[in-house]
Amino acid sequence: MKRRALVLAVLTTLAIAHAAAQDRRSASSEPRPTKNPLEGNKLAISNGAAMFRTRCAGCHGPDARGYLGPDLTGFWFAGGSDDRMFDVVRRGVPGTEMPPADPQRVLDKEIWQVLAYVRTLAAVPPAAATGDAANGERVFRANCASCHMVNGRGGQLGPDLSRIGAGRPRAGLHAKLRGSSDFIRPGYEPVTLVTKEGERIRGVRKNEDEFSIQIMDARERLQGFLKSNLTEVTLEKQSLMPVYGPDRLNDRDLDDLLRYLTTLRGTNAKS
Amino acid sequence: MRQSLVRSVYATLVAAIVTSWSIAAQQPSPTQVTAQDLRDGLKNPTRWLTYSGDYGNHRHSPLTQITPANVHRLTAQWQFQTDTLGKFEATPLVLDGVVYVTGPLDTGWAIDARTGRQIWRYRRDLPSGLIACCGLVNRGFAVLGDRLFKTTLDAHVVAISRKTGAIEWDTTMVNYRNGYSGTTAPLAVRDKVIVGVAGAEYGVRGFIDAYDAQTGKQVWRFYTTAGPGDAGHSTWRGTDAKAWEHGGGSIWVPGAYDPELNLTYWGTGNAGPDYNGLEREGDNLYTASIVALDADTGKLRWHYQFTPHDIWDYDSTQMPILADLTLGGEPRKVVLFANRNGFFYVLDRATGKLIRAKPFIQTTWAREIRPDGRPMLQPNTVPSEEGTKVCPDQTGGTNWMPPSFDASLGLFFVTARESCGIFFSWKDDYTPGEAFRGGAVQRLVDTQSSSLRAIDVATGEKRWEFPYVNQSWAGVLSTASGLVFAGGSGNLMAFDSKTGKNLWHFQTGSSLYSGAITYMVDGRQYVLMPSGTSLTAFALADFRN
Repeated sequence: MKRRALVLAVLTTLAIAHAAAQDRRSASSEPRPTKNPLEGNKLAISNGAAMFRTRCAGCHGPDARGYLGPDLTGFWFAGGSDDRMFDVVRRGVPGTEMPPADPQRVLDKEIWQVLAYVRTLAAVPPAAATGDAANGERVFRANCASCHMVNGRGGQLGPDLSRIGAGRPRAGLHAKLRGSSDFIRPGYEPVTLVTKEGERIRGVRKNEDEFSIQIMDARERLQGFLKSNLTEVTLEKQSLMPVYGPDRLNDRDLDDLLRYLTTLRGTNAKS
Repeated sequence: MRQSLVRSVYATLVAAIVTSWSIAAQQPSPTQVTAQDLRDGLKNPTRWLTYSGDYGNHRHSPLTQITPANVHRLTAQWQFQTDTLGKFEATPLVLDGVVYVTGPLDTGWAIDARTGRQIWRYRRDLPSGLIACCGLVNRGFAVLGDRLFKTTLDAHVVAISRKTGAIEWDTTMVNYRNGYSGTTAPLAVRDKVIVGVAGAEYGVRGFIDAYDAQTGKQVWRFYTTAGPGDAGHSTWRGTDAKAWEHGGGSIWVPGAYDPELNLTYWGTGNAGPDYNGLEREGDNLYTASIVALDADTGKLRWHYQFTPHDIWDYDSTQMPILADLTLGGEPRKVVLFANRNGFFYVLDRATGKLIRAKPFIQTTWAREIRPDGRPMLQPNTVPSEEGTKVCPDQTGGTNWMPPSFDASLGLFFVTARESCGIFFSWKDDYTPGEAFRGGAVQRLVDTQSSSLRAIDVATGEKRWEFPYVNQSWAGVLSTASGLVFAGGSGNLMAFDSKTGKNLWHFQTGSSLYSGAITYMVDGRQYVLMPSGTSLTAFALADFRN
C-alpha cells in the first residue's frame, strides 16, 4: 500500500514537472531560426539601422567597423553565421563590455532587424593583416607589459589585454597608442589625491561615492581613502598610458605590435 | 448556604465573562485601520499607513527625537534580509510595532519593527511570460481594516490578511499577457482600494481602477487614454485610428487624496509608442498628465497635461503633493509636482489651473510653460532616424523616487537628475504583449549628474542643493526636527533641511531605489531604509527611554 502511494506520488510529481516544462515551452518564443528571417527586408534594415545607432554604435562605431568594440563587418567573411551573431547579441560576452540583451526589453525581431542592417555593411572583405607578431610581442614586453597583463604575465595598473584582439579593432588600438583616442575604460580613470599631510598619490579610480574613493596607486596597491582626509581629488582626462608617437614607436614596430595585439583572443587566458 | 455562595460566585463569574465578551464584540479590534486613521496620516507617529505617510504625499514626519544635533549618533539597530533579487522600490508600512513591506517578484513580509525578526512571508506563485519593462518590482502595500492590499506582476489586485499573510481575495485587473502588470502601491480611500496598471512600453491602454476593499469587486474604472465618446478623444489623430487603444498612459506609482474635495489625484504615464508620434498626432489625452477623479465614481473632474503629445517617454508618474499655501497674499489649495519633463509645477487642486511652472533641471524640449499651461516647445526636438539630442533624457529630471515637503519651511525636497540623450525613432507595429516603443535613446554619459535639491515653493527657485557623485534613484523623507533623509551611491544620508548641510551617512552596500520612512516604537524613533536585498533600521545609539 505504502509502495503504491509512493509510486503514485512520484508519478504525480513527474506529471506536474512535465506540465510545468510544457508551460515554459509554450510561453517561450518559437525556436530560433539559424538564418536571419529578415535579411534583405527593407523596413527591417531601416529600423535595424536606427536601433544599431542607439544600442550598438557607441562601441562598434557608426559604420560597425569597430571603435571600443570589435569590427562587425568582417564577421560573416570570417565564417560567422546569423545564429551565432544572434546568440552573441542575446547572451552578451561574459567578461567583456558586451552586455546581454534582456528578452523583456529586446525582442528577437529587433535583434534580427539589427543583424539585417549590419549584414548590409559587410560587403567588403577585411584588410589583410600586416606586421610581425613575434617582434610585436617583444615590443609589448619592452613597452607595455609593466602596466598590462597578457595571459597572467604583466602589470595590473592598466586593463588585462589577454583578449584585446577579440574586443578591439586594429584601428581602435592604433588610435589609442598614437594618442588620438581619449577613451578611458571605467575603472582605469587616472586620479590624483592630495592628503591633509600634503602627500600626492596618483593612481586609477576603482570606485567612488560622496564620502570616499577607492584607487589602485601607481605601485599597484589597492587603497580606500575618506574624502574628509583629503584636500584634493582630481580626476584627469588624460589616460595614465603614455602616447606612443613616432618618436617613441616607429611605424614598423607599431605595425608589429598591432599584429601581436590582434592575435590576443583569450584562448590561453585564465577564465 | 455554602451552596448558594458557590452558586452566586459562579453566576458572577459567568456574568463577568459574558460582559467582557460582549464588550470585546462591540469594540473594534485595536488593529483595525479605519478610513479616519488614513486621513490622520502621520498624526500618530507610531504608524506609517500609506505610501507617502499621508494622503497629501508630504513624507514629512512630526517626529523630533532624531535631530540635526544628534543625528551623527544614528546607528543600525537591525537588518532584515529579503533574499529576493531585484530593485527594492517599495515603501514599508508600519502599524502596532510591525513593518509590512513588499519586495520584487511579488514577495512580502511582516517584520517585528523592534527587532527585524520575520513574522510571516508572502510569495505569489507567478506564471511564466511576465512582461515588465523595468524590473519585476513592487512599490508597496496599502492597508485598511485588518487587510493589506497589493498589485501583482500578473496584473491582479490581492487582499492579504495582516495577521497571517494569507490571500483573502484576488481580482484580475486585466490579462497580463497583453503587456500589463501591476507594480504601484495601492491607495486605500474610504472603503475602496484604488490602483492602476503599468505597461506603456507594450502598447497597453492605461487605467485607474477602484475595488471594494471588502469584496474585491470592481467599483469603477477610468481609462487614461480617451476612447470614442470620451471628452478628449479628438486628441488622438494621425495614421492609426486605433492609436488610443494602445496609447499607453500607465499608472505605476500611487496618487493622492483630498478628503474635503473627495478627489483623488494620479499622475499618468507616457504615450505609446514612446518615441514615434506620427501615428498618434494630437495631445494624446490623458497621457503624461495629472487627473483629478471623484473618489466615489472615478469621474474625471479636471486634468492638466504636463507633456502634450509626449514623444520623449516623460511619464508623469511622480508624486502629486497636496499643499495649502499662501501665494501672492491669497490662501491657495495646490498640487505641487516635480515632473520627469524637468519642470516644477504648482496647480490649483480644485480646478487644475496652472499657477506656476519653472524648470528645476536643464530642459531643452521646452523653453518654458506658457501662462495658458501649454509648453513652449523648442525647435528640433522630435526624435528622428538620425537621432535628436534632447535634455533631459528619457529617465527624466526626476522619476518614481518620492520627494518630500516641509510645509513649515515651504521647501520641497527632490532628487533632481541632469541628463541629455540622443532620441531615435523608428516605425513599430503594435502586437499585443510585445514591446511598442517606436525608438530608443542613447543616454549621454558625460551629461549625467544628480543632486538633492530644495525648492522654495513660494518662488519655484532652488534654495540649496547637495550634489551626488552618481545619478541617484533614491527618494526623500523629512522630519519636523529639521532633517532630510535621502541618498545616492548606496549611502543613506541625513541633511539639515534649512541649509542642505550633510550631517550623517551610512553606506548600505547597494543602490537605493526607494525612500526612507520613520516611526516610533517603545518611545524610540527608527529610520527604516530598503536597499539591495535588505531593510535596515537605524536609531540613536545611546538612546534611553
